[in-house]
Amino acid sequence: MVSPTGTFCQTALPAWVLAASFAALQVPEAFAAARGAEAAPAVGAAFRAPYRPASDAEILQEVPSLADPAVGHMRDLRERLDATPHDLGMALDLADAYVDYGREVGDAHYAGYAEAVIAPWLAAPKPAARVLVTQATILQYRHRFEPARALLGKALEVDALNAQAWLTLATLDMVQGDYAAAGKDCARVSASAGLQYGFACAGNLRSYLGQATQGLALLHQAETADAKVPVGYRAWIHGLLAEAAERLGDWPLAEQQYRAALKLLPRDNFLLVAYADFLLDRGRPEEVLGLLAEDAQSDTAYLRLALAQAALHKPDASRYAWIMAARFEALALRGDDFFGREQARFALELQHDPQTALDLARRNWQVQRAPWDARVLLQAALAARQPLAAQDALEFLDKTHLQDPIIEPLVRRLRAQVQSAPAGAQPISQAGR
Amino acid sequence: MTSRHSTGGTRGARIRRLAWVAWVAGCACVVWTAAAGAHSASDAYLNLWTDPAPGGGATQLHGQWDIALRDLNFVLRIDDDGDGRVSWGEVRRHLAGIEQFAFANLELRAPNGKPCRVQPSQELIDEHADGAYLVLMFDVACAASATTLKLDYRLFFAIDPSHRGIVTFRNRADVATAVLSPERAAIDLHF
Repeated sequence: MVSPTGTFCQTALPAWVLAASFAALQVPEAFAAARGAEAAPAVGAAFRAPYRPASDAEILQEVPSLADPAVGHMRDLRERLDATPHDLGMALDLADAYVDYGREVGDAHYAGYAEAVIAPWLAAPKPAARVLVTQATILQYRHRFEPARALLGKALEVDALNAQAWLTLATLDMVQGDYAAAGKDCARVSASAGLQYGFACAGNLRSYLGQATQGLALLHQAETADAKVPVGYRAWIHGLLAEAAERLGDWPLAEQQYRAALKLLPRDNFLLVAYADFLLDRGRPEEVLGLLAEDAQSDTAYLRLALAQAALHKPDASRYAWIMAARFEALALRGDDFFGREQARFALELQHDPQTALDLARRNWQVQRAPWDARVLLQAALAARQPLAAQDALEFLDKTHLQDPIIEPLVRRLRAQVQSAPAGAQPISQAGR
Repeated sequence: MTSRHSTGGTRGARIRRLAWVAWVAGCACVVWTAAAGAHSASDAYLNLWTDPAPGGGATQLHGQWDIALRDLNFVLRIDDDGDGRVSWGEVRRHLAGIEQFAFANLELRAPNGKPCRVQPSQELIDEHADGAYLVLMFDVACAASATTLKLDYRLFFAIDPSHRGIVTFRNRADVATAVLSPERAAIDLHF
C-alpha cells in the first residue's frame, strides 16, 4: 500500500488500461485480466509485450529532427542560456521558442520545458510581466484557465499596456463565453498592439455574436499582403477568417482560408485540426487521413484520424479508437488534465456512449463555451434524449445569437424536444449536479 | 502595421516589436483557431512488485520503469545522427548514460535511511499509445528486512515540471497507484 506522502488512489484501473499503459507488467494476473477485458480483441494487434529489437537498424521513435531549423534554433538558444543562466531575456526567448514549437506540433512536452526555463524568475517576489504572461500562456494551453487569468491580472498590474496579456485575456474571455469582457479586452488590444490586432480581435468576437458578416469585414481589415509581416500573423488571420466563414456556412471561403493559412504554416497542429474538422463535416474523411498522416503523435490530430477511420469503415478503425481511449486514460491517470470537448466527442462518436458524452460535455461547458463546446453538448443531449441537460447552452446561444449552420438545427431539434418533455422533467445526467 | 505605443523608437526596435507581437498572434491561435486540445504531456510508468515468496530476510523488490524515448532524447540527445529517428543502435549506445541518469533520479531507502541497491537487469522496448518507451527492468535489494520503504522520484522534474511518474506497486494481492509530481515526489511503500 502507498501512504499519504504521495498522491495515491487504490487502483481502480480497468485491466485494458494496464495493458495499454503498462503493457506487460510481467505480472501474470495483469495479462490474465487484460485478456478478459472488453477491449481485449484489439490488444494483441496494437500492443505487444516489451521486446528487445532484433537489429540496431530498427527505428523505434520519431523525434524532432535537427534538419528542422526550429529545432536547431531551440538547441542554440538552450546552449546560449546554459552559458548565461541568469539572462532573463535569453530565458524568455527560449521559453517562447518552446511554447511556439509545442503549439505548432501539438506536443505538450514543450510547455513543460518552457515552464522549467522561466521557473526561477517566476519564483521571484515580483516577477516581470513577460514572465507572468508566458506562464499564463502555458497554463492556458493546458486549459487551466482560472490560474492563467490570475497571472494575466498580475501582469497587467505590472504593465497595463502589455499587448500579449490583453490578447491572451481576450482569447480566454472568448473561449469562456464572456463576450462583454472580451469586447473591452479587444479595445485594450487595439490600444496596446495596434489597430490591426484590434480589428482581428473584434472581428473574431463578432463572429460569435451573430455578426459574422461584419466579423469577416473586420478580419479583412486585419489582413495584410506585406511579405515582411511574419507568417504567424498572416496565418492567424486566415484561420480566423476560415472560422468566421464557417459560422456563415460559406464553405468555399472557409476552405480557401484554411488552405491559405496552411500554405504559410503547413504543419501547424491547430490549423490542421480545424481544417480536419471542416473536412469531416463536409463528408471528406479520406482527405483527413492524408492531411494528418504525419501528425499521429498529437492527440487532437489522432482523434480526427480515428473519426475519419470510423467514417470510412476502415479495418483499422477499432484500433484507432482503442489507442485513442488509451491516450485519454493516460491523461486521466495524470489526474490534472481535463479535455472535455475531445473526450465528449470521442465518447459520442466513437464509443457510442451518449450518457458519458453528455456528462463530459456538461462538465466541459462549465469550463469553456466556444461553438464546438456548444455543439458537442447539444449533440450529446440529443443522443441521450435529455434535452433539458442542454438548457444552459440553449440559453447561452439565445443570448449570444451565435450563427452556425450546424448548431442551429441542433438547437431547433432540442427546443422541440424540450417543449414536448413532460412538465417537471429534470436533467438526469450525473454531471453538473 | 501600426502601433500607437511603439514610442517612436528606432526602426530596429519597431521591427523587433513587430516580430514579438506576431508571436503573440501565433500564441493566440492556441485558443482562437481550435480552443481545445488533448495533448500528451510527459509520463513515465514505474511498476514495482515484491517477491512472491520472500521467506524472511532482505526485502526484495523488482521494478519495470518505462520512460519515453522522446523524453530521453530531449535530455540526452540519443538521436546521434540528428535524422529525427531514434534507432535501437542509438539507444544501445546510450544505455549506460540513460541508466545512470534515470537511476540517479530514483531512490529507495529503508526506514533507517540506508539506500537500497538498485541493480539494472534488462533493457527492452515497449510500444505505448503515444510512442516507444525504453523499459528498464531492475532489482532492488535493501539491507534489512523492512516493512516500509521510502521512494523518492525526480526523473525529468528539473527540465519539465509537468512530468508525472505513474507508480504502480504490487504487494502480493494488493495493488496501489500513485502519481508523482515535483510537489509530491516521495511516497512510502508499505509491505
